[in-house]
Amino acid sequence: MQEIRFHGRGGQGTVVASILLAKACFRAGYYVQSFPLFGVERRGAPVEAYLRLDTKKILIRSHVYTPDHVIVQDVNLFQSVDITRGLKPEGWILIDAPALPANLEPFSGFRLALVDATHIAVKNGLGTRTHPLINTAMIGAFARLLDVPPIDMIAEAIQKEVTSRPRPYVQAAQDGYANVHLFGLVNRP
Amino acid sequence: MAPQEAFVDPVPLFVPCSRTSTEVNKTGSWRYLRPTYTEKTAPCGAACPAGEDIARIAMLASRGLFQEAWETILQENPFPAVCGRVCFHPCEGACNRAQLDEPIAIHQLERFLGDTALAAGTQAAVNERSAQGRKAAVVGAGPAGLAAAFFLTRLGFTCEVFEAQPEPGGLLRWGIPAYRLPKEVLQGEIKRIENRGVKILCQTPVTARTLEKIKARNDALFIAGGYGRPIRLNIPGGEMACDGLSFLAQIRSPATFAISGTAAVIGGGNTALDVARTLLRRGVEPVLVYRRRRQDMPAFAPEVDMALKEGIKIKELSAPIRIAQDPNDPESFPLNYELTLQKMKVSSTAINGRARVIPDGNKIETLRVQGVFTAIGAEGDNLGDFPPGANQKHLELSHCQMALQDLPVIWGGDLATPVKSVTHAIASGKQAAIALDTLFAEGWDAVATRLSACRIGSGPTVSMAAYLGGDRERRSARVVTFDEINADYFHPRARVTPVTLDVEQRLPSFAEIEQTLVTGAAREEATRCFNCGICNACDNCRLFCPEMAVAVENTARRINLDYCKGCGICVVECPRNAMVLEEETP
Amino acid sequence: MKQVLEGSHAVSEAVRLARVQVISAYPITPQTHIVEAISAFCADGTMDARFLCVESEHSAMAAVIAAASTGVRAFTATSSHGLAYMHELLHWAAAARLPIVMAEVNRALGPGWNIWMDQTDSLSQRDTGWIQLYCEDGQDVLDTTLMAFRLAEAVHLPVMVVLDAFYLSHTFEPVDVPRQNQVDRFLPPLVPRISLDTAHPRVLNQMAPPGVYMEMRYNIQTAMAQVPRRLTQYQKEFRAIFDRPPGDAVEAVQCEDAEVVLVTSGTISSTCRQVISDLRSRGEKIGMLKIKMFRPFPIALVRRFLGAARKVAVVDRNFSFGASGVFAQELRAALCNLDGHPPVFGYIAGLGGRDVTPDTLVEIYRRTQDCPTPPEESIWIGLNQEVVQSWYN
Repeated sequence: MQEIRFHGRGGQGTVVASILLAKACFRAGYYVQSFPLFGVERRGAPVEAYLRLDTKKILIRSHVYTPDHVIVQDVNLFQSVDITRGLKPEGWILIDAPALPANLEPFSGFRLALVDATHIAVKNGLGTRTHPLINTAMIGAFARLLDVPPIDMIAEAIQKEVTSRPRPYVQAAQDGYANVHLFGLVNRP
Repeated sequence: MAPQEAFVDPVPLFVPCSRTSTEVNKTGSWRYLRPTYTEKTAPCGAACPAGEDIARIAMLASRGLFQEAWETILQENPFPAVCGRVCFHPCEGACNRAQLDEPIAIHQLERFLGDTALAAGTQAAVNERSAQGRKAAVVGAGPAGLAAAFFLTRLGFTCEVFEAQPEPGGLLRWGIPAYRLPKEVLQGEIKRIENRGVKILCQTPVTARTLEKIKARNDALFIAGGYGRPIRLNIPGGEMACDGLSFLAQIRSPATFAISGTAAVIGGGNTALDVARTLLRRGVEPVLVYRRRRQDMPAFAPEVDMALKEGIKIKELSAPIRIAQDPNDPESFPLNYELTLQKMKVSSTAINGRARVIPDGNKIETLRVQGVFTAIGAEGDNLGDFPPGANQKHLELSHCQMALQDLPVIWGGDLATPVKSVTHAIASGKQAAIALDTLFAEGWDAVATRLSACRIGSGPTVSMAAYLGGDRERRSARVVTFDEINADYFHPRARVTPVTLDVEQRLPSFAEIEQTLVTGAAREEATRCFNCGICNACDNCRLFCPEMAVAVENTARRINLDYCKGCGICVVECPRNAMVLEEETP
Repeated sequence: MKQVLEGSHAVSEAVRLARVQVISAYPITPQTHIVEAISAFCADGTMDARFLCVESEHSAMAAVIAAASTGVRAFTATSSHGLAYMHELLHWAAAARLPIVMAEVNRALGPGWNIWMDQTDSLSQRDTGWIQLYCEDGQDVLDTTLMAFRLAEAVHLPVMVVLDAFYLSHTFEPVDVPRQNQVDRFLPPLVPRISLDTAHPRVLNQMAPPGVYMEMRYNIQTAMAQVPRRLTQYQKEFRAIFDRPPGDAVEAVQCEDAEVVLVTSGTISSTCRQVISDLRSRGEKIGMLKIKMFRPFPIALVRRFLGAARKVAVVDRNFSFGASGVFAQELRAALCNLDGHPPVFGYIAGLGGRDVTPDTLVEIYRRTQDCPTPPEESIWIGLNQEVVQSWYN
């Protein structure tokens, strides 16, 4: 079983990202279970969502404490949220960033991947420059990390889920998949 | 029944259930009080000089039935669009809603309904009789004369109206400025009266000589020549003052008028205000000169307020004693006048509640003005031996004088009404029509009784609808008070505010100051009305009746006395006092 | 068709497929997603039903009582304080013998204000005459809702479908949504035994004097007593139509040789299956009795499965103050007249949304193993002593 944790802010489509990824994985034949951090949701406040993936029925229904990977939709969250809390050694951390962060200290012991999801979202006309909708670019990029699910499944899930104008969302997912930079293991200093 | 399932016994089911009707229990036998639907008179309708059924008009308007609401006005008054503008609306002063929040904007509603009908160009379906073969002549095409012709026509008379001026309307046409009453509105409403078959002969002044010819051709005569003759200022130099009414008439005719600088307007009535506000719109700076105090002015208070807002100065407690041409500059143009005023003071004794003023010693003030206008009242001609003396059979009615000469003659309008207003003039025309109709049908002695029978409330107002025997005749004359309204059903809500021109927008033009309400606002305002004393089918009586004794038949509600036990809940829960509870009489 | 569905929407889909005719509800977290989806179905014509908006849960229940009295299929959903507010009308719905179905999302009652999982809200309605069915996962939510209508209409009692706040209501997982024609076969149109009709006026539920009231209560119990047999029968039909087993009233998992049997309900049962699988692989003798049907309480089944058990540990996500966990109470009452019944340990865990992890269940298993006889008081798991010892200041 793989457990994935999503970090974002209220209004960024973090929960939707976890659901879309769940649906894509389900299409690819996995058992899935996805849920948000239980509680009240507020625009701008830190948000978490979770995804469990397995090849057999998932029985465990408690919270996710030791994720295998994390997806971070806003790097500024590093200042207020413990992004690597419980993260298994050498787990992937996918961040939205145009270039490698100057300080790699927070990622040491884990594998780092980056994608310029903001740029991809803006290019595809998703959201605004100040409030881009990056969630499909992020899950597209994530699909490269594990080679799960196939990018076609993500495209299909988006097509099904986004009822009006799905094309740019699909394109952003494909762009994310194509442009993610797998930096790999960050060594301890 | 659900299909039986073989593997298990059917589930037993018992719930209390009764198919017994309570019909056998004739609770009506318990009754010693009996509720009835007794519609009463709303205070607004009783206060309206024209006796309009305002509570019903508002009820119909609240349902969006604007044509029906307008026709209900037309039953009593052929001039809704005019009266919605110029009537001083005593109805609103009487409105019970004032004791909850603010009175209903009745004049705004009336104006809206009048304008809506004018725009649609519809004719009203009102009670009327076919022609009876009698002919009536009307002297004067002012509000009284036109109203008389309108009502007489409905009663089956053939009417001719004689008017000295080139256009009909009387004071409405020549005496009220356009910012209060646009010409098109008046013309529209007069046209509708003509379309009912009334013939108006303009530029046909009636003299003592022509009157005889008219009498010979007609069965009855209504004289409403109005107060066309101004009262002159009887002081030294008084002949130098301009008459205010003539000035207003000039302004309304295409003739031009040249004056500038400052002008004094002498008087405290509506005409004085109209003159002053008209001067203001022609670039003159008017000063209103009044011998009593501002609160004593007979002009309607809202008009005074608006005039003050527009910047008109009022010099109160000042009586003119002399007008002279400026001796220093006799050749100037425009002419300069010196108006000498005696300052007045309030005497400690009052007459009829109105403050009495007396000269304040020798205090004198002199105004230098470029014009002096008077608006201190007017009087009428004594056409047709007015007032009728003891030498002829005559009857003094509330709004008319009636005499039996070689044919019945009635004097009405300003000549005979207690209050000189447009709406009282209309009331006078209606009273005359009913009086004449009764006279021909039942004789002289029946006139006073008949008129009394179709009064609205306890005042002198009479209703044509009641005269013609509509539902309104059955309504109790008792006027509903606020205490009798079940105020629990009404929540405070602000009165509608019409769109009004700013002072800056008003002055350069004669554009109307207040705008007509838009449909939504009018309907919304109409829903504020309590509908005092009349059933608006709210169905509270039916919903609250514990014995289900209220039946609805053809939209009317009826009490089934077999079951009504006389508890009175229906009467208490009627929000608008349209029911009464009376002791059962065996 | 299998699809990834939120637990709340599993309810909504079942309500749609059940061709419910009248829905009335007042929103409350975490029930909201259920009624949001249903109101959308009503608005866009997906469902031919009336959605009555009301100003409170009390009125929502009153509205569905009225609707059901006219013989239509009626549904509502609520949670926590909303359910408590309905209380008097819950009695009414049952005694009026109306086949109403309600989804009830288990949520804690305040104060302290808490929107998370706790069973005390539904369990405090145990004496109202409603059938109560607790759900384990998303599929179970959908299947139980369909079964609820079938049962309600067969025995003329209302049914509460109970699901865990967030663990079910807000969790997405694969759910097999059946086809309409399948559901129509399982759930034919309601043939009401009670149906008001304006053409034939009558009065329902007026005065019931002492001479009949007791019999009415006895009849409700007679109907309740039929539920286990009927459920078994309808499960067979369900399986034949939908090709999958619906949840049993009581399910025993590896109880036969178990040293300790954990008694669970709701989503804890699912997590417990994982724990059993893990511990069994290490040779531990652990079993589980999952109770799905709380009302009527399945006394016979409990006795059959637990009569020979060594030790029983009841995991209660609820508490009856001054007594114990409610499932423990019911279980002890069911077993007490049985000769040689096992000792029953009462554990309290996961109140107000506290997570019940595999470790929590392992701890309960170990403590039961290590303790020869159960203490009189309930055993509270994972208490934070700092909070317990603090004083209001």
